[in-house]
Order: sequence, then structure tokens, then C-alpha cells
Amino acid sequence: MTAYLEVTGLDHRFGGLHALQECSFTIEQGRITCLVGPNGAGKTTIFNVITGFLQPDEGSVVFRGRTLDGLRPQAIVHAGIARTFQNLRLFTDLSALDNVMIGIAGQFGEEPLGAIFRPIHTARAQARRRQEAIATLEHVGLADRAHDLVRNLSYGEQKLLTVARVLATGAELLLLDEPASGLSAGALDAVMALLRRLQSEGKTLLVVEHNTRVVQQIADDVLFLHQGHLMAQGSPEQIISDPALAEIYFGGAL
Amino acid sequence: MDFLFSYIVLAEIYVLLGLSTNLLVGIVGIFSVSQAAVFGVGAYLVAHFTMATDPLSFIPSMVIAAVCCVALNILVTLPSLRVSGDYFVVTSFGIQLLATAVFTNWTAGTGGANGLPGIPPPDLFGLPIETTPQYAWLCTGAVVLGCLGFFLIMRAPFGRLLRAIREDETAVAAAGKNVLRAKVSAAALAGAFAGTAGGLYAAFLSFIDPSSFDLDASILLLTMVVVGGARTLAGSIIGPFLLLALPQLLTLVDIPTTIAAAARQLIYGLLLIMFMLFRPQGLAGERL
Amino acid sequence: MLALQLLATGLVTGCALGVVAISFSLVYATTKIFHVAHAGIYTLGGYLAWSLVMSGIPMPVAVVISVGACAALGALIQSQLYARLERRRATHLVVLIASLGALAVIQNIIAAVYTPNILQFPLQWSSRMVSVGVVRMNYTQLLTIVISLIAYVGTMLFAHRTILGKRIRAVASNPMLADITRLQPQTVYVYVIAIASALVCLPGILVPLDLGLQPYNGVTPLLTATIAMIAGGVGSITGAFVLSVGIAVVQNLSLLVMPGEWSIGVTFFIFVIFMLFRPTGLFTAR
Repeated sequence: MTAYLEVTGLDHRFGGLHALQECSFTIEQGRITCLVGPNGAGKTTIFNVITGFLQPDEGSVVFRGRTLDGLRPQAIVHAGIARTFQNLRLFTDLSALDNVMIGIAGQFGEEPLGAIFRPIHTARAQARRRQEAIATLEHVGLADRAHDLVRNLSYGEQKLLTVARVLATGAELLLLDEPASGLSAGALDAVMALLRRLQSEGKTLLVVEHNTRVVQQIADDVLFLHQGHLMAQGSPEQIISDPALAEIYFGGAL
Repeated sequence: MDFLFSYIVLAEIYVLLGLSTNLLVGIVGIFSVSQAAVFGVGAYLVAHFTMATDPLSFIPSMVIAAVCCVALNILVTLPSLRVSGDYFVVTSFGIQLLATAVFTNWTAGTGGANGLPGIPPPDLFGLPIETTPQYAWLCTGAVVLGCLGFFLIMRAPFGRLLRAIREDETAVAAAGKNVLRAKVSAAALAGAFAGTAGGLYAAFLSFIDPSSFDLDASILLLTMVVVGGARTLAGSIIGPFLLLALPQLLTLVDIPTTIAAAARQLIYGLLLIMFMLFRPQGLAGERL
Repeated sequence: MLALQLLATGLVTGCALGVVAISFSLVYATTKIFHVAHAGIYTLGGYLAWSLVMSGIPMPVAVVISVGACAALGALIQSQLYARLERRRATHLVVLIASLGALAVIQNIIAAVYTPNILQFPLQWSSRMVSVGVVRMNYTQLLTIVISLIAYVGTMLFAHRTILGKRIRAVASNPMLADITRLQPQTVYVYVIAIASALVCLPGILVPLDLGLQPYNGVTPLLTATIAMIAGGVGSITGAFVLSVGIAVVQNLSLLVMPGEWSIGVTFFIFVIFMLFRPTGLFTAR
């Protein structure tokens, strides 16, 4: 049985920095997997490789039996994998609704000829997409902020918006880079509830997270990464209670 | 009175160029100093076809010129944008200098440095356009169409896509959109506008020479967008009208003709610096 | 033999261009700004030297003063224009446009003051001819080669052996990290641009010494130099210099088969080839 997402032998150097060293792991469908590890372990690098933003020196990524090697980011989104960014990268001068609508695939009027010569058709198609986008915003709890500019949203709301944007792409495997970092307790609970809701709807999540409480509460599996290499794999309890890993992660204290 | 109509005609032609430059520089965020080169290609092409031994009438010539300029822009932006933004800066300078070299030296095709006289006035499917007021009507019609097209694009998903690309290309790619195709499409559209403007210019002045299409002209176009304001319809209209009035204002000041051109360009340069430092959104635009 | 003569002239032009390329490369690799105003400083250097020589100042002194003035102007542009824009978090495009504006201002002040006509340096020795083997060159051309090579070696030594040079390379390779440590990137930028402006003043004097002064003479060399920089690999001083010589030689040799007005086409063609097949350049950055 082929794994849902299979990463094999990823190896990459940035000049003198050996960011990924023979990194291999698999993800199962329908589960929430957390990727943890100290800073510089290579977590975001792995995201960049899986989503086509970085071509690794060696190694391969296979998704649902299909290799992703050499594909550009847009193609990988179409294949069903989408990611968020640690520094959000939202379009701050656009509204929340517009940010979500960017993610919707296959829109009419996304090239000039259609926009100019078939304006009515374009407007109708846009109206339909707008409804879809509002539904997505409702899903993450941001429907009432749909027309506000991103620069006017709170940090927690912006984080929810990044999730809405990947949801709009229709991807089934979501790579979330620190969705819960920097949030207040209330916003944190909202995000965790959202992630569990997404899982119940059939999405598979690979989440980079530093907050051990979040990991304990939402993760089905945990991958511990250190120096670009998968050091350990297991349930949240196993990983968190391992003193050797704690040593690496926190330098002793837990 | 004729003088006023001339001003309006030229300003309207430059509004089309302003829309073109705004699309490329303001909306997509590509630095282009080769707009005047495309303008020139449009002008020389229309001149060529309407003056050929078997001449084409105005509208078909315009269509051909516009299509060629579209192709030119695609050809130029596709390889260089694929690599990086700064590569396009080099390409843009190269295109502009190369175009000036062609316009000046290919005497057989362009009349060389002496220019191309005797371009026939246009006709709208048989209806001749000969007087300046008639020409003003023609150009107004063209500008209205141009503005309409611009408005429709910005309102459509394409416009939103371009605005997002200007903010963060990586995020757009991560959302599953083809960034390169969008940029090249915008450049192609800009080419259509510039080529059309070139044709109107050639037919109106009935004489063109390379000095209207050189690097200084490209700098003027950039200044129009910077002063008028980036990414808005209003900015694309205000900029040209204002900056074309500038030479008239300068005649009130006593500047010897030998340095008049340098004085104008100096003012454009100062405007660019001042606006970038103190008012990057121009008079009626959004922040560049 | 004509080809050899063209080769020699190509070497001369290439060496001068090489200094333009390395100086531009210094600025671009460090500040990441595509400093088109550099062409204006190049032009200004020549005119300043000319004015000083015309008012009786001996040439070597005129050169020193011009070099200093160019360095000062470069530092001014960085500290008053680019640094201000950086503080306002201006986009790349805004800085480019501002730089273009600065170029237009410099070029057109020169054109207004000196008129657009070509001016010649009033120095007798500069056009004295000399035979180097089967090829004939004038003193200026020889001087150009010598000074350009010294500039190249000097820049290499500076970048690799001096503390400031290493500091510059550190900032160039990681500006964000440099910001957090005590490397003070903004100060480094001012030094870099001052040094680059001083360097580019040299070909700015030497080339017009041979061919005459013209206010708009800076853009084409700058364009060719940037192409050499890219083809040689951004960040590689040697790459920029070597490719400059290479492009100039190819340009000159192309005169055997096509008229001189199209030489920009040759340069551009080379650029397109690199862009399509080897966009990262020939030499790796170091």
C-alpha cells in the first residue's frame, strides 16, 4: 500500500549549511501530523521542498503515488497540496474576501481577454465565486470581517485567514506553518477547534508547531526533526515524554 | 483654438500610453524604460502600412500594429521575467537602446534620423479624419475605449490577481496561480495600448522621427505615471494632461532653445525623485 | 591586420568597461539596488576633470579631485536618497525610479551647463600614438589598460584582505543578519557606494580622454557593464571584469562583419543567450 505522502532521502545544502540530511518520513491520510524540532531543524525547508518552492539536491516526494519532483508550486497546489507561511504573507492592501478569492482555482476572467470582451459573464462568475469565498470565511469564523482590509484585522484573525486561503484552493493535504504561534488563549482555542473540524471533514494536516500544549491536543502523530534529519516518530505522549528529545529541544527543561 | 485641440489630441494619445505604462509599472510592478520603444514600433508600423505601395487603410494598419506590439512585449517579458525582476531592467534598457538604434539607422525602413514624412491622415472605414477637431473626436473615442478596458480588467479577477502579485508573488504561487502568465498577459495588454497610441500619433503628426521614441521619452512616460498616480484611471489621465502642459509653461520662462530639451528632462528627473521621496502615490493614485 | 587592431581596441574598451562593471557590481551585490544613477556619476567624472584641466589644474590633481567629488556624490545619493527610501520601506521599484530620476538630473544638468556637443580634453600627450607589435594605440588607451587592471587588482585585494572589504562581503551575503549584529549595513552601504563611485570616475575620465565627452555617454556602457556582471555571475568581481573584456572584444570583432551602429545588438544578443541558458552566470559568487 503506497503511503499518502512519502518523503524519501531529502538532502539539501544552502552553501555551507546542510539544511536537510537524508530526511525521510511518511504521512497517513486523514490524520493530523505535527512536525516539531528546534529552530533550524529544517521544518520550513521541508515545506518548501514539498510545495515546490525549493528543488532539493537529492531525494523525492511522492503524493498519492505520483511524484512531485520538479513540479512548480502552482502545479502542486493543483495536485492537492497547499501551504501557509510562518510570516503569513497575506495581501495586506486587499480585503479578507479578496485574499480568499485569490485561492479559488479556475476562475473566469483571470486573464485579460475574457475580462474585456465578456464582462457580463465575468461579473456573474465572480458573484458565484464570491459566495464560495464567503462560505469559506464562515467556515473559519471570519465571515463578518469579509470586507475589511487585512491590515485592519487582528493577528489572530489574520492567522485564520491564512487557513481560509488554503481552504479556498480545495487542497486535501494542508501544510500549516505555525498556525497557533503568537496567539492569545481564546484565539488559540479557535484555531485548534478549526483544525479538528477540518480533519473531521476529511482533510489531512501536516502542522509545524512549537507549542507543546497544541501538539498534545491536536496531533495524531508527531515527527521530531533535528539538524535536517528525522530523529524520532511517534504519538505525542511518546515524543513529549522522551527526555533525550527534550534535551535537544529545550536544552534540558520541560 | 486649433492649438487647444492639438493639445487634447496629444494628451489623449499619451493617456493611452499612460494606461499602458500604469499597467506595467504601476499595477504589475515591472520597471520599464522601454515603453517609448513600443510606442515607436506602433507608430512606424502604421506609417509603413498606410504608406506602402499597396496601402492598407488606417484601422487594419492599427490592428496589425497593436498585434505586433503585443507579440513584442510577450517576446521580451517572457524570458526575462522568468528569471528575475532585475533582469527585466537590463532587458528594458536594452530594448529601448536597440529600438533607438534601429529607428535611427535602418534608413530603408524608418527613414533613419531624418524621420518619415508624409504619413496619410486616417480614415474610419472610409470616413476621412482630416481636421484637428475631427481627430480629437477619434482620439477621445479611443481613450474612452481604453479606459473602459482598463476599468473592466481591474474589476475582474485578473485585476485582483495583478494586485496580489505586486504585493507578494510567492504567496500568489502558493495559492496555485501562474504568476508568470499573469505578468506576461499584462505586458501584452500594455503592448496593445502602446501600439495603438503609436498609430494614432503617426497619423496625427503625419511625420515621425526617432527622437519621439527614445529613452528620454520613456522617462517622460514614467514621470506621467508617477506624477499622475499609479494604478488608477484618474492617475493615467491626469499625468499626461499635466506633463504635456509643462513645455508650454516653460516657454514663459526664458530658457535658451539649446538647453530647452535638457531643462525639460531635468524637471522630469526632479519630479521622479521628489515624488518617490515625498508622494509615491502621485496626485491621484495609490502608493507605488 | 584589422582583426588584431580591433582586438586591441576591444581590450582597451573592455578594461574600461570592466571597471564600470566591478564598481556597479560592488553596489548591486551589497545593497541589492540597481543603481542606474551610476551612469551619471561616470559621466560627471569626465566633465569635472575636463573643467579642472581647462582652468589650468594639472591632470593628476584634476583626477584626484574628480574621484573625490564622485565619491562624495555617490555617498550623497545613498545617504539622502536611497537610505531615506529604505527608511520608508519603499519597494524595489520606487528605488529604481528614484535612481533613474537621479540619473536624469545629473545627465541633464551636465547637458545644460556644457551643451550637448562633444568636448575634447586639451591634452597633447593623450593622443600620441605608439606601436605595440603590429598594433597601434595611443597613450590614453595604454593608460586605460594599466589603470583598469590596477583598479581590478586593487578591488580584489580590498574585498578579500581588508577589514572593510570583509565587512562589505558579510553585509552583501546576509543583510538581515548584518542588521542584527554590529555590522551596520547602512554605514557600509555609504562606504560601498562611495568607493564604487570613486572607481567609476576613472573610466569616466579615461574613455572621454580618448573619445570625447558627451552628456549622455553613460547609459550604454552601464548597460553593457550590467550584462557583463550578470553573465559573469553577480558578486564575482573577476567574472564582471573578464566578461566585460570578453563582450567588448566580441563587439569590436563584430565590426568586421556588421556596421558599428548595431554593436548594441551584439551585446544584447549575448545577454539573451545567457538569460536563456545560464542565468546565474559563469563564475560563482565569492
